[in-house]
Amino acid sequence: MQLNINKKKKTEESSRYDAVIIGGGPAGLTSAIYLSRARFKTLLIEEMIPGGQAATSDMLENYPGFPGGIEGPKLGSLMEEQAKRFDTDIIYDSVKSIDTDGDVKKVILPKREIEADTIIIASGAKPRKLNVPGADKFDGKGISYCATCDGALFKDKNIVIIGCGNSAVEEGLFLLRFVKSITFIQDLPNLTAEAILKERIKEKENVKLTFNNKVISINGEDSIESVTVKKTDTGEEKTVPAEGIFIYIGFTPNTEFLPGTIDLEKGYVKTDDKLRTNIDGIYAAGDVRVKTLRQVATAVGDGALAGFNAVKYLENIKEVNNG
Amino acid sequence: MGLLSKEDKEYLKNEFDKIKKDVSILFVTTDDEKKCEQCDNVRQIIDELTALSKSISFREIDINSEELKQYSVEMAPAMVLLNNGNGNIKYYGVPSGYEFSSLIDDIVDLGTGEIELDDEVRSELEGIEDKIHIRVFVTPTCPYCPAAVRIAHKFAMINPNIKADMIESYEFTEMADKYKVQGVPRVVINETVSFEGALPENEYLVKIKESL
Repeated sequence: MQLNINKKKKTEESSRYDAVIIGGGPAGLTSAIYLSRARFKTLLIEEMIPGGQAATSDMLENYPGFPGGIEGPKLGSLMEEQAKRFDTDIIYDSVKSIDTDGDVKKVILPKREIEADTIIIASGAKPRKLNVPGADKFDGKGISYCATCDGALFKDKNIVIIGCGNSAVEEGLFLLRFVKSITFIQDLPNLTAEAILKERIKEKENVKLTFNNKVISINGEDSIESVTVKKTDTGEEKTVPAEGIFIYIGFTPNTEFLPGTIDLEKGYVKTDDKLRTNIDGIYAAGDVRVKTLRQVATAVGDGALAGFNAVKYLENIKEVNNG
Repeated sequence: MGLLSKEDKEYLKNEFDKIKKDVSILFVTTDDEKKCEQCDNVRQIIDELTALSKSISFREIDINSEELKQYSVEMAPAMVLLNNGNGNIKYYGVPSGYEFSSLIDDIVDLGTGEIELDDEVRSELEGIEDKIHIRVFVTPTCPYCPAAVRIAHKFAMINPNIKADMIESYEFTEMADKYKVQGVPRVVINETVSFEGALPENEYLVKIKESL
C-alpha cells in the first residue's frame, strides 16, 4: 500500500518574483532547481501534481539513475522535494494567461497576478483525443487516456489500444495485469515503440497486433461494443469487438493560456538553441516546445538549459539596473 | 517498516500542529471478513496518523451499531469525518495512494476551520437548503481524483445538507458498476447529474444546482 502526500507548501503571498515557471513536470522542476540554486526568487505554478505527465506513468525504465526503474509519481515528488530544498516556492493553481508586454512580465491566475522578470513555459502536453464518431460519447465512459487511473476498472475485459508508440505498448503491458485481452490498432505497418517493448508485447499470448488500420468509429448503445476500422491500403472495413478503449495517439501541447504574440509551430512553442522564445525573457522547456523526442530525459535537459539561460538573462538585467 | 518516511512524518506533524480543534473520525468496520479484507490497511493508516498528533482521534464502530444509524453509512470499511457533529463527510474504502492526501487535507481543514473556497461559491453553498448527495468514485492511482474528492468534501464542510462520499472503485465494484464507473474521477450528484473529471469549484457548483 502506497500513501502519496501532496506537500503543498504555503508560500508567503508574494506577487513579485525574479522567475516564474509554468508547469511542475520534469522540465519545470529542473529549471526551478537551476534558478533557485542561482539564488533567484523563483515561483513554480503547477495545476495538478508534481511530475506532470510522468506522474501518470506506472514505471519509468529509461530515465538514467534508476536501474530498476522508478514509479512516475515517485520521481515527480523527488524532483519537487529537490526544488523546494533550494527554496523554490511552489503553488497549485491554473494560469489563465500571461502578459508579455513590457520588461516586467505578468502571470495571471484566477485570483491574482504575479510579476516576474522572466518566465519559463513548461506547461507540457496532454494526450491527444481521438476525433471519430463515438469518441465524445464514450469519453470517460469506456474510453480512457490514463491506464494507471482507470486500468483496474477493466478487469477481465477485452480491450482495444489505439496507438503503436512507447506509451501505447508500455501502458498495454501494464493493463495486462487486469484485462483479459488487448487488440492493438494502428494505422502504421509496424509498432514504433522501442525494440525492448516490442519484444515484451510480442511474447504475450492474449495480445493481438493489427496494422494498417484506421479507426473510423466507436460503436455501442449504452457502453462500447466495438471499433470500426478501415484498411489503409485496400479500404476494407472491419469491426473489432471492444469493451474498453485506451488511446495513445500522441499529444496536444498545453498552450491555451499563451498570448498570440508567442510564436508557435503546429501548436508547440518555437524556441532557439538557448530555449528562448521570440519574446525577450520568455523561455520554453519540455514537451510544450517544438522538438523531436518528448521524454523525461529530454525534459530534464531542456529544464536545465532554459534555467541556465534564464539565470544569465536575470544576471544581465540586474547588472544593467544596478549599473 | 511503517508506511510513512521520516520526511513525510515531519511534514504531517507540521501540518497537524495547525489543528486548533480536535478532529474525530469514526472507522466503520464489519464482521464480514471478506468485506473487511482492507480493514487492516485502514487500521495501519490510523495508527500512523494517531502517532503523529493527539488532536486526531479514531473510534472503531460496527456498521450495524445503533449509534451509526444517524450517519447512514452504506458500506464498510468506511471513515466518517465528524463535522460539528454531522457525519456528512465519508471515505468508503482505503484512502491510500493519492487519496491519502485528500484525507490529510480534510483533517487539517476540519481541525483549523479554514476552508479555502471562492467567496461567491461559499455564499451560494451556504444558501442550499435541499439535501444533496455527492458520490465521487476514485482509484488510488488516479492523480486527478483528489481534486474532485476535496471539492465535494469542502462543500460538505460548509453546508451539512450536503453529503459527500469518496468511493474507492476497486473495493466497491458493485457500487461502481451500478453507477457505470468506467473512468475516474466520476462524480454522481443526487442520482441525476454526473460527470467525469475534476471540475473547478464554480462549475462543480453549477452541477449541484442542476441536480436540484
